[in-house]
Amino acid sequence: MNTFLQIISNHSEAFLRGIGVTIQLALIIWGSGLAIGTLLGILSTKYKVIIGIPTRLITFILSGIPVLVYLYWAHYPMQTILGVVINPFITAAIVLSTINIFSVSDQIRTQLIDFPEQYTIAAKVCGLSQRTTIFRIQMPILLRQVIPPLLTQQVIMLHSTLFASLISVEEIFRVAMRVNSIEYKPIHIYTALALLFIIVCLPVNGLAIWLRQRFTRNLSES
Amino acid sequence: MLAGNNIRKSFGTSEVLKGVNVQIKPGRISVLIGPSGSGKTTLIRALALLDMPGHGEVVFNGRSYQFPLDANQKIDPPWPDVTVVFQQHFLWPHLTLRKNILLPLSKRTDSHHIVNDLIDIFHMGAFIDRYPNEVSIGQRQRVALARAFALKPKYILLDEITSALDVEQTGTVIRHLLTLRDRGIGMLVVTHLLAFARELLARDEGDQIYFIDDGKILGSGGMEFFNDPGSHRAKQFLSSMDYWSANGQVIHKNSKR
Repeated sequence: MNTFLQIISNHSEAFLRGIGVTIQLALIIWGSGLAIGTLLGILSTKYKVIIGIPTRLITFILSGIPVLVYLYWAHYPMQTILGVVINPFITAAIVLSTINIFSVSDQIRTQLIDFPEQYTIAAKVCGLSQRTTIFRIQMPILLRQVIPPLLTQQVIMLHSTLFASLISVEEIFRVAMRVNSIEYKPIHIYTALALLFIIVCLPVNGLAIWLRQRFTRNLSES
Repeated sequence: MLAGNNIRKSFGTSEVLKGVNVQIKPGRISVLIGPSGSGKTTLIRALALLDMPGHGEVVFNGRSYQFPLDANQKIDPPWPDVTVVFQQHFLWPHLTLRKNILLPLSKRTDSHHIVNDLIDIFHMGAFIDRYPNEVSIGQRQRVALARAFALKPKYILLDEITSALDVEQTGTVIRHLLTLRDRGIGMLVVTHLLAFARELLARDEGDQIYFIDDGKILGSGGMEFFNDPGSHRAKQFLSSMDYWSANGQVIHKNSKR
């Protein structure tokens, strides 16, 4: 335990910097994914041909490319082809955000398309206004269906930030590897890293499970 | 009056309604019978303007809706003065049964009073605060009916509402429908239960039955329709309904008054 704390203490500045970079990266990925992805999902449903088809095509292509390959491709060959040099942090943020945006938009689009028509029909014949129908019927049902998978998706994206270390982004995993190369205490260092991710990810996963149990149980009429 | 005049409706190349004429008068019950796929539900959706007819006219209390609509023409549907109770209930799954009834009444100051009355009438006290997936199909159907009744509509279109109810519950529904009729509400009741249709029609000479087959009304009338349905197809259908009502022991047969 003493060794464990000593390593953390000796390299606290590096660890904090790494955590900071990871959090920054995660916030960019989550924020852009949820905001742009939701908007794109809604627009894909509304403008099926102009936005919907290209979005689905890109989502389909991205789903076939491993994150690491996409990240490496964007960091090395693409920049060579374009003749530019981009900061690895920006490259990682763009690549991972793109993946998150299209994943989120796909989930939103699917939920919107699959929204059971009977609930809006019932709202119509009960004389509910469009506003009441959207805010009291459609939104609550949609959110109950979409929030748990979106939270799970965001945890996966947080895990994916580790790949950024492979293109030299100084995030927490790269810091841990560097500290380990100095101290050579892999058990302590990687246990600390695992604990850190558990502290962040488990509450989010737990929230997704709780929301799923709390709300989606009421969505089945049968 | 709620009327459909020469209603036509197609899905792709298949014409489901082929010039249907029906009338639902205030304070009267109209019963619609016919085999599966004959266009009963399509007719209900067309009359309620949930699916716009391809051709024809829907008239609601003197207001005429002509079809086909002109390009970009928008209509003001008569909901909830005309409302529908569907076979599948269509209760909102994220709300308790009480809130399912309360939500459409949210602008009324006496909404809780109305709901409490309905709870007594439909004996829903034991389950009203549960969610739709926590109660039986029969209980859900009662709530769907109560929600429609709470709206105080002028016309209610009921699509196979007794399909999941037992004999006792069906009897309760009949009593409620008759009470509503006495309050001046016009109803179109789709059913496949002959005894249910007879029970509804037997109480008043002004009520009528329509027989629909292959998108066309092949017969209509009052109680006399059961003895003299006119067309051979209607006779054939009535005899098959009679058989199943008797053998399935759904409700007692020949409940003429």
